[in-house]
This record gives sequence, structure tokens and C-alpha cells, in this order.
Amino acid sequence: MRHRSAALVALAAVVAALVVYPEFASGYGVRATLQVFMWIVLAGSWNLISGLTGYVSFGHVAFFGAGAYTGAILVAKAGWSWGAAALAGGLAACVLALVIGYPCLRLKGPYFAIAMLGLNEVLRALVSYFEGLTGGGNGLSLPTLDATVPIYYVMGASAALVTLATYVIITSRFGLRLMTIREDEVAAEAMGIDTARHKLYAFLLSAAGPGVAGALTARDQGYIEPISVFPLATTITMIVMVLFGGKGTVWGPVLGAVVLFVAQEVVWARYPYVYPLLFGAIIIVVVLLMPRGVLGLLQIRYRLPRTI
Amino acid sequence: MLGQVVISGILSGALYAMVALGLALIFGVMRIINIAHGPLLMLGAYATYFLYSALGINPFLTVPVSMLALFVVGALLERTLVFRVVDAPELSSLLLTFGISIALVNLAQLAFTSDLRSVEYLTGAWLVGPFALSKARLVAFVFAGALTGLAFSFLQWTRLGKAIRATSQSREVAMVCGINVQRIHLFTFGLAAALAAAGGALIAVIVAIQPEMGQIWTFKSFLVIVLGGAGNYPGALLGGILLGLIEQVASLFLTTQLSEVVAYVLLVLVLLVRPAGLLGGRQT
Repeated sequence: MRHRSAALVALAAVVAALVVYPEFASGYGVRATLQVFMWIVLAGSWNLISGLTGYVSFGHVAFFGAGAYTGAILVAKAGWSWGAAALAGGLAACVLALVIGYPCLRLKGPYFAIAMLGLNEVLRALVSYFEGLTGGGNGLSLPTLDATVPIYYVMGASAALVTLATYVIITSRFGLRLMTIREDEVAAEAMGIDTARHKLYAFLLSAAGPGVAGALTARDQGYIEPISVFPLATTITMIVMVLFGGKGTVWGPVLGAVVLFVAQEVVWARYPYVYPLLFGAIIIVVVLLMPRGVLGLLQIRYRLPRTI
Repeated sequence: MLGQVVISGILSGALYAMVALGLALIFGVMRIINIAHGPLLMLGAYATYFLYSALGINPFLTVPVSMLALFVVGALLERTLVFRVVDAPELSSLLLTFGISIALVNLAQLAFTSDLRSVEYLTGAWLVGPFALSKARLVAFVFAGALTGLAFSFLQWTRLGKAIRATSQSREVAMVCGINVQRIHLFTFGLAAALAAAGGALIAVIVAIQPEMGQIWTFKSFLVIVLGGAGNYPGALLGGILLGLIEQVASLFLTTQLSEVVAYVLLVLVLLVRPAGLLGGRQT
């Protein structure tokens, strides 16, 4: 128990430091931390569907993009406040997840994975097609507004919420059922778990975070276009972060997001071309050599609880 | 107009069928969806491009060379990486081939840059009655048809082909019959990469190529095997022609962008209504 309270104190100290951070930090510091928060939201959300149920979503950035466009359109064309627009972005992503997840999650793994691979391209095509609403390839500009610090807090709260939700789910019966689906779906069904419904719930939960993050990012950057909010690279990055940190764990996505974001900032500046290649290599190495990620290794070596 | 659409659909459908047959073989034999299938096709396209632009070889004659080169690449990938995840959960094989696909695309970007490159050969079209037949597409169709025919006769009549089909019906029984399943996996992966390479080589003559061209082909090949029924090899033929026709008909009424959406909606609908494919069931 001593370890546990020490960990809680450390956690509270980190949170407190992050709360007062914008008072002291440079503009770059706040922006970089905001980015880390965003990656925690994205990686944590991907972990909810793919880490827990084993259904790999290769197009999770679609929810980010759907949220970004919903938020941006509501702010730019309907004059909503960005807070309400962020909620609407999360909702829009959930609706999309329902439409896609209902048919695709009834099927076994590979079908779902490839359907998600295509979803992203389709959304990008649709956004480019409905030019009147979305500005098409020219993009969509939002009214200028300097809200980086409030967005920092909201994104930080979203990151905390996603991590908390992961903890609550992993320690609940719902989470156990999801992990049963991952380990053996037929056995899960035989035990009376309504697998289609559970997968759909997990999928909806995993879509909300990226939707909110997308709307917040759109507001913060003030301009979006199809290429900037639907890049395959974003999906790749969140997958790599989760795999590196440890899929199916609470803190794995956080660890992966922080470590890889810092690595990205350092390596990106010097070797912009090598770094995406590195991501491919990380995926291969993690899948073959440490399928449970860094945290998984630590859990085994130091007998840490499953719920970290 | 309709005749033109049907002809164009069948012309591109044969290419789809050939490329998808590779994906279907890997899925049937190893139970793996190879996300790197499209990037392997991209490598085949570059092989042809360089053989043509550096050595001046007729691009259609480079097809066997590209196929052989990619057969080796595929076999190497299988022997070093993919064989490790054959019996692992689906998550592992999907993620591993995804990692390979990212690595291949980025290696290609490093080595070849992202510039669009094209093979200027056999441009223009033949006019046959009221129809315009693109020369490059027509020759590509003939090649694709011939290679697909060869692949099917190989599967149907040779000992190795029979062993592949036996392994995809039941790995255990194949082993009991004395088939070296590891070797079959190696060979199947190489063969699939070679079929993808042939597709890439032919596509290079038709349109400009660049390192990211592959992803969409993984998706399209998958769509083809879903239409035809996963693990059903003749189904890949039907699925390919169907996809070609559907795309062409859709492009009559919609912009190119939206016809991609049609293919996607189709995928979701087929998965919903006939998850086993239009022909149903596994037939090898």
C-alpha cells in the first residue's frame, strides 16, 4: 500500500505542476505540452478498442478528422463557442463510429481492420466533395482567437479523462469482458457475453476522445484542410505509441505518447526522413520481441499489478 | 457509352483479379491479411520503372523480372519476419504486416523520393468501331489475364499447386500427408508478392507511380476477395471483374473521388449482407 500512496502523491504533483505550468512556460512549452495531451487522448482512445478488444483500428484518425470538421464548421459557420463545438465534435465521431461499427464489428478481426483502413480515404474524399460546407481542398478558416491556454486545460482534462476511463474500464467487469473477447471471442460468446454489443460500446468510447481532440485542435490551429486532419501518419503514430508503451494497460499510452513525442521533437528536427521509417521498425520490433510493450515488460519483471 | 464502360471495367478488373489473387492466397494458406501487399506492388512498379528508364528494356518484358525480384523479396520477408506470426493472434499479424508496409513505403520514399514517375510507352488508344481502347490498358489486360490463367493452372495441376490448395484447406491434414507446410508458406508468400509485382509493373505503364500508391491497392484487393469470398480463389476472378465494372459505372455518374466512396459503401454492405462473399464458402 505504501507504494500505492507514493504513486498517488507523485501523480498529484505532476497534475499540479501541469496546472500551473502555463503561468511560467514559454509559448513553445505550452504548445508542446498541448500536443502531448492530444497524443495521450488519441493513443489512450485507440487503446480502448484495439488494446482491450484486439480489434485493430487502422483508421482511427477518421474520428479525429470528423471531430475537427464538425467543430470547425460549427464555429466558423454557426458561430458556436469552441467548448460546445468540441462536445459536438466528440458526438459526431461517436455517430460515425456507430454507423461504421455496427456492420463491421459483427465480423472477425481482419475485416474490421481493413474496413477502417478504407474509412479514412473515404472521409477525405467526402470532405473534398462537399465543398460548400467544408471549403473542399482549399480548407476552412476559423475566426482568429487566441485560446491556446484554455484549450491547453481542456485538452489536458480530456487526456486525464481518457486515462481515468481506461483505469475504470480495465478494473471493471465490462473491461474483463472486453479482454475476454480479445483472448478468445468464441469462448467469450459461449460464456454468454454479447460480443457485438460490447465491441460496439468500446468502439464508441474510443471514438469520442479523438472527436473532441480534433475539434480542439481545429480551433487551436485556426485552419484545417483534408490533408491536415486525415493523415495516415496520425493513425500510425497513435498505434506506435500504444504498442511501445504497452497495449491494454492504463499508463502504456501515456508513456508511449510522452516518450515518442519527445523523441519525435528531437529526431524530427534532424532526420525528417528517417523518422517515419523508424515507426515501421518500432512496430515490427515490438510485435515480435515485446508484444506487451515497455510497461508489459516492467509488469513481468517487477511483478507490478495488471492495473497500471 | 455502356459498352465502353463494360470494356473499361473488364480491362481494369483483370488487373484487380490478378493482384487480389495474391492476397487471397496468403489469406487462404497462412490465415494472414497482408497489409504490405500494396507496398509490394509498389516495389514491383519501381522495378519496372528503373529497368525501363535505366536500361531501356521494353516495360512489358520487365514483368517477369519484376516478378522474380519481388518473389525473392516476399520469400525473404516470410523467412525473416512473417513466419513468426503465423500462429499468433490476428492482432500480431495485422500489426506486423502494417509495420512492414510503413517501412517499405518510407524506404521507397528515401530511395526514390516522392516524385511522380511514369513509363512513357505505348500511349494512345486503338479505335475499334465505336470504342476507344487504351493501348497500354489493353496489353496490360492481356498480360494480367495470361498470368492469372497461368497461376490458376499452376494451382490446379502441378504438385506444388495442389500442395498449396491442400494446405489452405487444412494445414494439419496437409502435414499428415507429408507436405512441408513451412516451405509452402514460404513459396505462397513469394508467389503472392510476385503477383503483386506483376500488377505493379503493368500499372506503371498505365499511370504515374509514387511510393504511396500501394495502400489503396491493399484495400482494393481486400474488397475483391470480400466480394468473391475469402479463401475462394476462383471468387477472386469474379470479384475483380465486378469491382472493375462497379468502379467504371460509378465514375459515369459521379466524380472520381465519389466513386471511391461507392467501393467503400459496397464493402460495408457486402460484409453486412453476405459476409462469406457473393459466391459464399471456401472452395479451393
